[in-house]
Amino acid sequence: MRNISLVFERIAKPISVALVLLFSVSSLQAQDAKEGETIFKANCSSCHKVFGKFLGPELAGVNERRDEAWLLKWIHNAPSMIAAGDPIALELDAQYPSAAMTAFPQLSEDQIKSILVYITSEEEKKAASDAAGGGASGGGAGGAAASGDASSFMIIGLVAVVILAFVVILVLNKVIRTLERVIASNKDLIPEPALVEGPKTDYVGKLKKLAKNKKLVFFAVLMLIVFLGSAGWKTLWNVGVHEGYQPVQPIKFSHQLHAGVNQIECQYCHGGAYKSKNASIPSANVCMNCHKAITASDKYDGELSPEIAKIYRALDYNPETMEYGPNQRPIEWVRIHNLPDFAYFNHSQHVVVAGVECQTCHGPIETMEEVYQYSPLTMKWCVNCHQETEVNHEGNAYYDQLIAAHEKLKKGEKVTAAMLGGLECGKCHY
Amino acid sequence: MNANMLAMNKMRFLSAVGAAVAIAAVVACGDNTTRSTGWEFSRNMYDPLGYNPDQPNPNFKDGKTAQIPPPGTTPVGFERFPYSASTEDYERAGAELVNPLQRTQETLAQGEALYQVYCAVCHGPEGRGDGPITKDRRLESKSESRQLENYPPPPSYAKSDGINSSRGGLMAELTDGKIYHTITYGLNMMGSHASQLSPEERWKVVMYVRELQKK
Repeated sequence: MRNISLVFERIAKPISVALVLLFSVSSLQAQDAKEGETIFKANCSSCHKVFGKFLGPELAGVNERRDEAWLLKWIHNAPSMIAAGDPIALELDAQYPSAAMTAFPQLSEDQIKSILVYITSEEEKKAASDAAGGGASGGGAGGAAASGDASSFMIIGLVAVVILAFVVILVLNKVIRTLERVIASNKDLIPEPALVEGPKTDYVGKLKKLAKNKKLVFFAVLMLIVFLGSAGWKTLWNVGVHEGYQPVQPIKFSHQLHAGVNQIECQYCHGGAYKSKNASIPSANVCMNCHKAITASDKYDGELSPEIAKIYRALDYNPETMEYGPNQRPIEWVRIHNLPDFAYFNHSQHVVVAGVECQTCHGPIETMEEVYQYSPLTMKWCVNCHQETEVNHEGNAYYDQLIAAHEKLKKGEKVTAAMLGGLECGKCHY
Repeated sequence: MNANMLAMNKMRFLSAVGAAVAIAAVVACGDNTTRSTGWEFSRNMYDPLGYNPDQPNPNFKDGKTAQIPPPGTTPVGFERFPYSASTEDYERAGAELVNPLQRTQETLAQGEALYQVYCAVCHGPEGRGDGPITKDRRLESKSESRQLENYPPPPSYAKSDGINSSRGGLMAELTDGKIYHTITYGLNMMGSHASQLSPEERWKVVMYVRELQKK
């Protein structure tokens, strides 16, 4: 008995020590991975992804590809290794000519190691989810497709309703025809239902009586004229007014996401509003400033978003090689705000000189998932604002000149047309 | 008489079906959006005789009104930038170019305004690489609610952070020419901002970035 407990004691001690050690090592590793993730996101993610090539090579498997000492040296100071002629460093430099590896002398050896642990932990995570989630991801994709396109679902539903209605009509037509035949053959057997006819003639008679009441007829006609008149008046005033117009755009671009959540300034994309007549639709290279990296793949099970794919298609951009092809074509956005050609409007005059906010005319654009025309853009709307808005002439060269001219007039000096811009080419040759 | 009655029932039935279909159509399509411009009178007074730059144009082979100028064209007032996008020219620009603008309070303020619009969204309001799109954010809209992916943060300019540039040297020690070259051509994940910022505006931004480096 004593022997057994002694043996047990002997075995138990190293086992418990080993367990404690193992536990502490694994928790240490988890902590390392977490620290590594923070460092990775702050320093590496602008050029590297764990899975897939980005500006630099894919990092998954890097611990197997290279030995740790080399990696430590490389991450610490890659340029010096290239300069020293390390064969792997030279090969990498030749493979990625447009992007050089940054030196990170500020990272300690432990910090670099924790990045490597993070990469390994990501590999393990992916391997585990690949093994477990073969069937699950298929189901997820199906669910996404089902909830995906509401409008196509509606169209299919509508077509189904119409077809169903036609089928019902056909069947009932047949039933009616057979019933008619039955009635025709059994005419004598069915008694005449006189009850239905009685009130029918009564209605007609009542109507005829009412029609003879001139006051009532006059009242009815008056009501009709008032109703049609007011409806017509309202409709006619809204002819050519596109307030609320919300056309379907070729790309489901959300201003709520870009201007609202991401806080990208209006001017970043519509810089023309500050420099010219037009607010200008950004060319696709402006989209690519972010969408080279942002693919919204989280939403589409790791695939490129179909909406962002439209930008890539327009630019003939290959996300694998990160190169642009020759078959580029513009994205055909649908114009929403369209002033008649006979009205002159200049964005920069309003935005820069008067300092009007975009939202004053375009409404809460940063909350619009799909843009619509907020203001009526009628002449009355323009005139109302121009009557209320006070001019801020401080520090405005144009008004300085005007005021100077008035001062001169007051002093009795001569003011010529040339002094008021009368020699500008555009005054005659427009 | 009976046959007549049945025919009337048929009419009534058909109209009921028609009404049901119409209501179904209205309910299914009525998502409160105005897809048409409504009635218009004399549309030809709205449309210009010439072509707007964003309109399709059958007179050109590629069907676009906005044509790309032939290679080598220099528009009026356009300043050539005699450096290519290569690393060698980046170094050369960094060594040769200096900001041509006078450093005044006014230009610096303009530079800051431009920086806040065109750069701060990634580089952060103080250039520490912590702009709003590098941070965790959630989209809550009518059609979806999801976590958005973070943009990979750019390196900080600040001297106190001591971050290296991918082309060597500290971010805080980038020269005028290097910053100007990067705005013009882009670098790594950053795209070219030449279409958004004029050369003068770029120099104003450079002036402000030099201020941020001192932090």
